[in-house]
Amino acid sequence: MTATTTEVIIRPLDELDISAIVRIDEQIGGSYRPDVWERRIGYYLRRDPETSVVAELDGRVVGFMLGEVRSGEFGLEEPTGWVEVLGVDPDCRGRAVGRRMGEAILQHFKERGARSVRTLVDEEQTELSGFFSSLGFEPSSVRAFVRPV
Amino acid sequence: MSVRSTTLPKPFHQAVVRWQETFLPDYDLLQENWEKFFPTERKFELCAYRQTGMCTEIECGEMKGKPKFNRASDMQPEQAHHLFGAIRAQASTEFGSIQQHRLTLARAQEEEEQFWILRMMAEELRHGYQMLHLLVEDDWSSVSKESSADLVEGILSMNTGSHLLGAFNVDFDSFIDNVVFCGLIDRVGKYQLAMQKVSAYQPMAESMPEMLREEAFHLAAGVVPMRRWVTAAAKGGTFVTMVDLQKAINKWIPRALEMFGDERGGGTNVRYGLKPMKNAEAQKQYYEEVAKLVRDLNLRYLRARAEKLSHGESEAALDRILQGEVVEGVRREDLLHMPHPEFFRRRGVPAFRMVGAEGEVFTDLAAFRQHLVRSLPDSYRASRDFREYQEALTQVVEGTLQAEEAAGKMPSLRRVGGACPCSKSVRWVVDEPAVSAA
Repeated sequence: MTATTTEVIIRPLDELDISAIVRIDEQIGGSYRPDVWERRIGYYLRRDPETSVVAELDGRVVGFMLGEVRSGEFGLEEPTGWVEVLGVDPDCRGRAVGRRMGEAILQHFKERGARSVRTLVDEEQTELSGFFSSLGFEPSSVRAFVRPV
Repeated sequence: MSVRSTTLPKPFHQAVVRWQETFLPDYDLLQENWEKFFPTERKFELCAYRQTGMCTEIECGEMKGKPKFNRASDMQPEQAHHLFGAIRAQASTEFGSIQQHRLTLARAQEEEEQFWILRMMAEELRHGYQMLHLLVEDDWSSVSKESSADLVEGILSMNTGSHLLGAFNVDFDSFIDNVVFCGLIDRVGKYQLAMQKVSAYQPMAESMPEMLREEAFHLAAGVVPMRRWVTAAAKGGTFVTMVDLQKAINKWIPRALEMFGDERGGGTNVRYGLKPMKNAEAQKQYYEEVAKLVRDLNLRYLRARAEKLSHGESEAALDRILQGEVVEGVRREDLLHMPHPEFFRRRGVPAFRMVGAEGEVFTDLAAFRQHLVRSLPDSYRASRDFREYQEALTQVVEGTLQAEEAAGKMPSLRRVGGACPCSKSVRWVVDEPAVSAA
């Protein structure tokens, strides 16, 4: 069920995307982590396979965005869409791959009854902050705290 | 978009529960361990789901654009007949797969993978329940003289050997079958469900989205363990070798291809708006998708053997190995391969042709038999299913039976006496004189 086109195609994640996601993650972070992604993709496919998406260009997966709708996280009782992880093939940046995936996942969250969408971004990752800002995200009053143990 | 749930009338619901107690006795174990393996995930519930807000116009075929049907009695008789057959076949596969999985579920080496399969079995039970819901909720008297009770009993009476499709009449021999079946046979299920999502019969279309959501995990429950096994095999593990996996793939791919129906058919379903693709088109897409899976598994194996390779290097190395070169000590025969689509077929256009796994054509029956011995799992070759294939093949080669006649006999069905846990009656699904009542 693939198509050959120069257009970016957004479709739901499936289990055959594991290899492509491992590849993109390796391109971005430099580590080969198939075990991590096998487990993680299995998790998203169990919970809501239609919400997480991948982007295809010329029949090749060039991006992924994983997330789901949850309620009750951090005292946020209303159904909330969480964008948890994303990646775009470095060779395909500047082609609105991330934006197209973001728009698709936001639409799915809305259809699943989410009232808002949240994510966490490291302050040092200004490019990522800019990406979410361009999708209409604003800084939240909910702050992330961390301490070593 | 919303989903509403419903349950069958009490006697039918209880009949399914009794069936579950017989064929899925670990159901309670799954429920007890749900939080451990699937924390914070919605608990399993035995019910039928219908998605609302779906397209209400027929999406393909001669009646495209007209309103979808909500009642079978409003459909053209032949259209309703085809639909009825599809629902029964779908129900048969759902219940049938549980009967297969239960044989070897306990042989899983990893508890996590065992519970993935167990969850998948429970969801297949729900899928069967969903199909019974379609049969019970509507009036099918225009195409069947059987009452709802008889229809339900007929389906719940089926057992491995009496199901409507060949893939569900083959016993599992090890946990490799549980996993490979999920990766290959459930993938056919995904195609069928996706096609039926556009069905001109609205209750069928509305039943598909939730089944498809659950099916996505069933495929992962096959693919992820396969990926883990090839990694272990690459590192010298001997529990599941590449040869074991290849033989299991050879066992199941032919049955999977046959599940799409005869390569020349499917036009009626398209014409009536029940499916958007003919058999051959869907089968071809499926075959290409599995080829992608096999390539992914080979890449996983190769990188586990030669960790210094980057992704790009491993892609290039894989191509060279497949062309016969030895790279990083990996030979072509160390890898997995797609069996030729005509290999070991007993239905459809290539039925009973003596075509080998790599597409080589055999003219000598004894040589072809030896090829099958080398290509299929040892335990499967000791099965009744394989014996019957061999007998039919021999007759075809000797000219005492036409290939089409032989195809019509496969699988040779067992008769089932009183297997339905919801009934004390004895139902003879297909009589088979060669088998004694005992």
